[in-house]
Amino acid sequence: MKRVTESPVNGSNSQSRTEPKHLLSYFLSKSKNFLANSYVRFLVNKIGFYVVVVFFSLALVFIVIESMPGDPVAVMIASGNPPPGADIEVLKAAMRQYFGLDKPILDRFVMYLGNFLTGNMGQSYHFYPVPVSTIILYYLPYTLSLAIPVLLVSFFVGNWVGARAAYMKGRLNEAIYFGLVFCNQLPPFWLGLVLIFLYVLVFHGIPPIGAATQGTIPSLSISYFFDLLAHWVLPFLTLLVVYVGAWATGMRSMVTHEKDSGYVRYGEQLGFKKSKLMAYTQRNAILPQFTGLNMVFNGIVGQTLIIEIVFGWPGLGLLLYNAVFNYDYPLIFGCFLVIIVIIVVGNFLIDVLYGFLDPRMRTGHG
Amino acid sequence: MIEMWELLLRSRKVMSSLVVLTVLILLGTVGPLLTGDPYFMNLSIMGQPPSLAHFLGTTSFGEDVFAQLCNAIGNSLVVGLIAGGLGTLIAILVGAVGPYRGGLADKIANLVTNLALVLPLIPLFIIIASVVRGLNLVLIGVILAATSWPWAARSIRSQVLTLKEREFVNLARMSGQGSIQIVVTEVLPNMLAYIMMVFVILTGTSILAESALSMIGVSTTRTITLGYMLYWAQHETTVPFWWNIWWWFIPPGVVLTALLTAIFVIHAGMDEVFNPRLREI
Repeated sequence: MKRVTESPVNGSNSQSRTEPKHLLSYFLSKSKNFLANSYVRFLVNKIGFYVVVVFFSLALVFIVIESMPGDPVAVMIASGNPPPGADIEVLKAAMRQYFGLDKPILDRFVMYLGNFLTGNMGQSYHFYPVPVSTIILYYLPYTLSLAIPVLLVSFFVGNWVGARAAYMKGRLNEAIYFGLVFCNQLPPFWLGLVLIFLYVLVFHGIPPIGAATQGTIPSLSISYFFDLLAHWVLPFLTLLVVYVGAWATGMRSMVTHEKDSGYVRYGEQLGFKKSKLMAYTQRNAILPQFTGLNMVFNGIVGQTLIIEIVFGWPGLGLLLYNAVFNYDYPLIFGCFLVIIVIIVVGNFLIDVLYGFLDPRMRTGHG
Repeated sequence: MIEMWELLLRSRKVMSSLVVLTVLILLGTVGPLLTGDPYFMNLSIMGQPPSLAHFLGTTSFGEDVFAQLCNAIGNSLVVGLIAGGLGTLIAILVGAVGPYRGGLADKIANLVTNLALVLPLIPLFIIIASVVRGLNLVLIGVILAATSWPWAARSIRSQVLTLKEREFVNLARMSGQGSIQIVVTEVLPNMLAYIMMVFVILTGTSILAESALSMIGVSTTRTITLGYMLYWAQHETTVPFWWNIWWWFIPPGVVLTALLTAIFVIHAGMDEVFNPRLREI
């Protein structure tokens, strides 16, 4: 009885206390409530973690690049054309000063980081006057146009195939399982070579290597688009086969495990339709697949970079590969920054998605 | 424990992959002794298709592909075993000791593991491999081990966390054993099968990673591995168009796929036997 009479007094008390006060404290209490939501706290923690990841990996790469043997200035001079009779040593010293290579490592790291925060990645050494961001913006769509479709298509197709494979019986089951494992274990870079080989065998032509047929001028025409598409298909198929195998083997074992569980048996006894039971089973089996999405995403980005080098597809992998051989420090650093940002953003989106899918994440129970 | 190994050997899938693995190991160890020098270029027999004299034909430099293949299998296995062994050790160290020390050590170990899980390995490796000069098999193995342990550490950690709450571990703690002693004498022996599985799969992924790197030409440049053969077959052919000499680039990939599939099936078989949730034999 006493408590009931007391509580409204308390409530009005606290209200009167917060109302006249500054807006700031209102927002503070509001944001405290906001942070009390476990899903939001989970996301904020993740953001903090990914910022640490970006910083740490950039530092790591910077140290590695700095310990690279070989002198970028020497490479630049060798690939450029110094005027006859020029004093190479003076030229080198001037270039070193111009590119800031004479400053201590820490200074340069801070400078790079500061530049990145303002969106400036400096100028490439190899393609000298061109800013790194321009080069990367040219190459980036190629990488994304491979990695994102592969991720989405392989996820849906792979899980669909895996769920069906779990219901096969006897020898067919074994054969399909073996086929899926085989697809998963195919080394993508070699599968790429085999696909090119098969293309040559079937079509007797020059295989589609690179982004477009050599000599065509990039334009917004339909024919150029189809040319691009024709060159895109082979690398896409290569990655797709491997990752469909990966998802399908995982999904198959999950469904095999799940279709023996109690609720399915109970549903069978009650006389549920088989398709209904399959739908329930797959719903439960797919959640662990989403947990694996992070790692597969990282894997797909990495494999895409290698496949680009194999097919000459002008994405970030090929760019990084060439930049490493040209000692193009700003370009290496910029490429790596973009790759790590792709990975971090992708991982964060997957975390958000996971929170939506698994209600336990949102409410904080369980 | 022993009957579990017997169960494993009774499974047909595991047995057939063990046979494949044994054949490949024999090819890799005994093969190089029987075949000639893999680097010997006989320029009078450039780019010859498979024949009785040369099982798998010759490269466009007149090297015997079969001899190269045998050496490549051996070297790839060496890289895989070094990387797998070292990687497993690191994973155990980070994954098992962390939960036992508790507090800050555990937090740091966990953070480092999560961090290393997100790091994009392949671009990192392209950069590292171009920095380190004079790469040899051991060095490649060490670098691969240093980059491939995170997921293994995480799964070992979760295993240790469940084992930690068992009665016999509590008993050991009550009888006054130190935490490291408990890990070494009580927990790890119970995880032997699990560690074997981690080792097997780490070996496979390391072989694949090494092949990918040498395929694009950033790994060893002197020692033949499976990826190195692919690199030379694609890039350094003197015959017009590398796809005309199909007997050069097909065998390394077939061997690599067979090796990885065998490793995966063995791993899956072990998972079935040692993981009671999945056992169906």
